[in-house]
Amino acid sequence: MTSPALSNELSRADQWFGFRLTVPAAVILIALLALPTGLTILYSLHDVPANGASLGPFVGFENFSIVLSSPVFWRSATVTLLFSVGFVTLSTAIGLAMAILLNQKFIGRGLARALLIIPWATPWLVIGILWKWFADGSVGGLNAVLIALGITSDYHDFLADPNTALPVTILAAVWRQASFAGILLLAGLQTLPDELGEAAALDGAGVWQRFLHITLPWLRPALATVAVLNVIYAFLQFDVIFAMTQGGPGDATQVLSLLIYRQLFAVTQIGLGSALAVILGLVALVGGLITVKLLYRGHVQ
Amino acid sequence: MSIASESALRPARRTASGSRDRGRARSPGATIAIYGGLLVFAVWILLPVWYLVVSSLITPTQLGVKPFPLIPSSITFDNYLSVLTGSTRNQVFGSTDAGSRLLPAIGQSFFIGAVLVVLDLILAGAAAYGLSRYPFRGARSFELAIIVTRVVPAIAIIGPFFVAFRIIGVLNTPFALIISYNVFTLPLAIMILKNYFDQLPREIEEAAKIDGASRLQTLWIIVVPIARPGLVAAGVLIFLEAWSEFFYALVLTNQLTVPPLLAGFQSVQQFNWNALAAATVMSILPPVVLVLLFQRHVIGALTAGIGK
Repeated sequence: MTSPALSNELSRADQWFGFRLTVPAAVILIALLALPTGLTILYSLHDVPANGASLGPFVGFENFSIVLSSPVFWRSATVTLLFSVGFVTLSTAIGLAMAILLNQKFIGRGLARALLIIPWATPWLVIGILWKWFADGSVGGLNAVLIALGITSDYHDFLADPNTALPVTILAAVWRQASFAGILLLAGLQTLPDELGEAAALDGAGVWQRFLHITLPWLRPALATVAVLNVIYAFLQFDVIFAMTQGGPGDATQVLSLLIYRQLFAVTQIGLGSALAVILGLVALVGGLITVKLLYRGHVQ
Repeated sequence: MSIASESALRPARRTASGSRDRGRARSPGATIAIYGGLLVFAVWILLPVWYLVVSSLITPTQLGVKPFPLIPSSITFDNYLSVLTGSTRNQVFGSTDAGSRLLPAIGQSFFIGAVLVVLDLILAGAAAYGLSRYPFRGARSFELAIIVTRVVPAIAIIGPFFVAFRIIGVLNTPFALIISYNVFTLPLAIMILKNYFDQLPREIEEAAKIDGASRLQTLWIIVVPIARPGLVAAGVLIFLEAWSEFFYALVLTNQLTVPPLLAGFQSVQQFNWNALAAATVMSILPPVVLVLLFQRHVIGALTAGIGK
């Protein structure tokens, strides 16, 4: 890592050169990110007219109090939380299982690792489309498989049933994200020296003990990265649900990002939608920070 | 620094020679468990993909049969023909122009991706090199700010973009997306390239400096050629993100690129799942092929620093 002291050793001219190289990207990012973020925060404090041409009257935190006292918001927040819990735990667990499996020696390992990449390289929206039809009640492949395996006896329209719609959207999103987690965790596993496991095996440690006491601690930093990314992806998920259910049936899968989209572009309540967006951004930020804290607990470096 | 560099991702064959202790035979139980797990893994990944590919190769009549024909008795390329030309051999395809819009959308997606790759490699390459080799006061804070941008929801900043783009009149043009995509492609490229430059040995640059090369000459003549793998990886990832992006394209354009067009197809009545499946297969091929081609570089760049 670049030590903080290094910048002191650099001459003024060198620092100036580095600064000039960075300025164009920095200016663009400030213009494209800081400015709109600031504007959205401003919108959230005003009663913005539907055409968005002016800010409208300043209303303070009224938009926020409307949002926070609305049952629709809390219902949507609950759905977002349920989606996130399922998405984060399943993506991380399945990703870890795949990484451990693909770190073993077997014939065709290169091919298996290439397979792992396919869901990750597939656009989120396409994953939503693919799984919408895969889970379809009449032409879907999922029903065909479940019936062939004897798990169900009849065709079921998973996405039209409020009880199964959310689990199926979670499964679709997990299909992509578990691969991403698997790729990152596999890279972490590949740096684990064989000697560690072998020494433990000689000392009589079983497979499970070696996993708990060697593999997991070694993967801790990689797992932290993966978990944080999963939390962020969970809170910000839009494409998969848009393609599969558009938030339905009813509001069974209406996560916050979809609710905001409706507020901004269907009913054009820009002030309210912006307040919601600010809340979602804070939730994603806090969620990410909490995950970092939890995973690094007791491992201050 | 990044332990999980490329060496960790080279094909396993190499390690076979160095597998002294691993030579111990695996127990039959473990072997069965591994191959059993592999079977589950392959089904998990391939079943939805197989369903998609089969759907794109059968007729609506075959699709209507229950259960879904996982191994179809015959295949046809009519669905691909219909989404490429807007009509099949026998009949005009639907009453909309949906089919004939796929190729232009693919073209737009390629154009936007290509422009962003060039633009961001220059901007991010310069910034990442500056941050890596000439860290100025505030460089560290800038890097942290770059990471924080990953949690800014697109939906939180789309409103101002929409308003601004309407005012300057770039709504529904490629420029709306080329501008707005920098929000996520530029930070991604900076992070990846900064990581990459940090790993590159500095000796050659120092030698060049002693030989009297200016800092800019060193960057252009020495660094850019040896950094090519990192630039390729960053380029592929930029293209991938641009190709996959849906939300900005949905809001800022009228189905200009592939993802919003596919989403639009879903609500076109005449457009059945067979045709949509064919269009979907074509939309997945470019990113998947690109990533598989540059697999080693891309995965190396993506996972660099994961072991930190």
